[in-house]
Amino acid sequence: MLNRLRNPWPDHRAERTLGAVALFACLCVLAMIVLVAQRAWPIFAHNGLSWLGSGGSLKAQIETMLNAPGNPPASAYHLRAWPIIYGTLLITGLAVLLALPLALLSSIFIVELAPVPMRRTMVRVVRVLASVPSVVWGLIGILVLVPFIGNHVISPSQRASMEGTVQLTGAGLAPAVLVLALMITPIMVALICDALVAVPAAWREGAAALGVNRVRAIRAVTLRAVRPAIVAAAVLATARALGEAIMISMVSGSIFFAPRPGDGATFFFEPLRSLASTIVDYHEGISAPALSAALYAFALLLLFSAFVLSIGGYLIKLPLRRYQVRP
Amino acid sequence: MHRIRRKEDAAGRRPGRGPLSRLAASLAAVTLIGSAVPAIASAASVITISGATASFPLVQLLAHKYSKLEHNRVTFRVSQGGSTVGVNDVDAGRVTIADVSRDPLPTDPAGLDFYPIAEYGICIVTNKSNPVASLNEAQIQAIFEAKDKEWSQVPGASASGPIDLISRTSTAGVLTNFKTLFLANKSVAATATEAPSEGQLAQDVANDPRGIGFLSNYRADQGTVNSVAYNGVACTRANVASGQYTATARFYEVTKGPATGAAANFISWIRTSKAARKIISTEWVPVKAS
Repeated sequence: MLNRLRNPWPDHRAERTLGAVALFACLCVLAMIVLVAQRAWPIFAHNGLSWLGSGGSLKAQIETMLNAPGNPPASAYHLRAWPIIYGTLLITGLAVLLALPLALLSSIFIVELAPVPMRRTMVRVVRVLASVPSVVWGLIGILVLVPFIGNHVISPSQRASMEGTVQLTGAGLAPAVLVLALMITPIMVALICDALVAVPAAWREGAAALGVNRVRAIRAVTLRAVRPAIVAAAVLATARALGEAIMISMVSGSIFFAPRPGDGATFFFEPLRSLASTIVDYHEGISAPALSAALYAFALLLLFSAFVLSIGGYLIKLPLRRYQVRP
Repeated sequence: MHRIRRKEDAAGRRPGRGPLSRLAASLAAVTLIGSAVPAIASAASVITISGATASFPLVQLLAHKYSKLEHNRVTFRVSQGGSTVGVNDVDAGRVTIADVSRDPLPTDPAGLDFYPIAEYGICIVTNKSNPVASLNEAQIQAIFEAKDKEWSQVPGASASGPIDLISRTSTAGVLTNFKTLFLANKSVAATATEAPSEGQLAQDVANDPRGIGFLSNYRADQGTVNSVAYNGVACTRANVASGQYTATARFYEVTKGPATGAAANFISWIRTSKAARKIISTEWVPVKAS
């Protein structure tokens, strides 16, 4: 049998085998979605879609789920998960807003302006950064950033203003957003750099021949050409940020609280949880049936957002397709 | 076909060593290993355990040693989840043994057998820069129920500003014990940060000069935080063993009905053998013969 495998394959066999492997991968994804949806079903059956809304204490609801007996009563499935959905949107949105300009400017510098040796080094550094595991970022967050914010940034008066509501320990929105932005920037830089490199030199030369300077040529020609790649990079980075769990669990302060923008600067230091970090924090309770359904519902929501993101990214890219270059 | 093959030869590669055949060979290997592993496992009896996170390090050590002594004829699958989860699992027959880190409760399902295996202390811990020496029950209740909100209200504290309470997620057995032993079953104030594990709680307290939390004596011993004496008695393994430290709890192994077969052998080995007592005595206290 091994001999048969060792000989070169005829086209039709390679086609069928590879087709089967590809189909198997698709089936796995489909089976996963079906499984997650099926496990999450009790939450939808008891709450409809109103579990996405707010109401009552999420902590109390989760505790009821956890302590419910093996065959939980309908009341144990009550869930209003808005604080963590809001937390997810907040962390992801702010991190992408922070990372996108950073990534765009640094990739323009790397490709268009940096001297060649510097460009080579920076591209390599970015590639390495993009592959740092998230738990390492989390460690840096918890060992360096969180104590720094807690001991040097938050003022006693800010601490006093939140007394009785939440504790400002340093872990919270700000470190989560900062570390997450650092995590997704290299991914975006790598993608945008690839696109910038693929812009034909003739286009730049054409702009130069018209007498415009380098910065204007970058703005008018190169950036326009890579717009679809920028969207693709932002979508991929958002998807990465949405699903980030362990790092956020480590630096976000681990409490069911929806930070209030009305609190001014204190807002950025308020603790919170995201969907993914709640799954990490409570996965040990997964054998409690009601809690397991809730965690699967959070997972389904994350899967659904990834789906919406990829469709949304495609729709945004459509009108930008003119003049596009493909890396 | 023939032409392609010659081309490969020209490139210096041996025919048939392309990525395709390598993929197929590795797939075949994975299938072989995959089908062989269950065959090996089924030869031994498997004890499944779920429950308390606090006793997990101890049960891991015991299970590892027991497997070794039994020449791997008994293997373990130990997962965590918290005492309540363990109790629900063992009642529903999903696991053989539940680890429980609190005394039996009236709300537990009927027909469960609790076998105590070890005793441990629950320590109150603060940041090293805030070496509170000793607290009594009333002071601890005032702090954790957020009646005392400032460190200035706590005698012996060198920190200033608000007290940051670091508690645990509700799955934690140590949290249940803490509430029973120190808070007369009341809840920790809702503002408290919920650390998902003992390690994270220790780190949170080590980061935060205003932090206070609670750990099993196994974790509090590790030197990253200041361990506070309770009613003047230091929270150490020795004081737990001598009975002087009173805030102690027990780890239990729980089965549905009296333990039978491999589970019964394992539990009686923990409770009677010298090897098990030696492991327990490293950080915990063996339960006195009953």
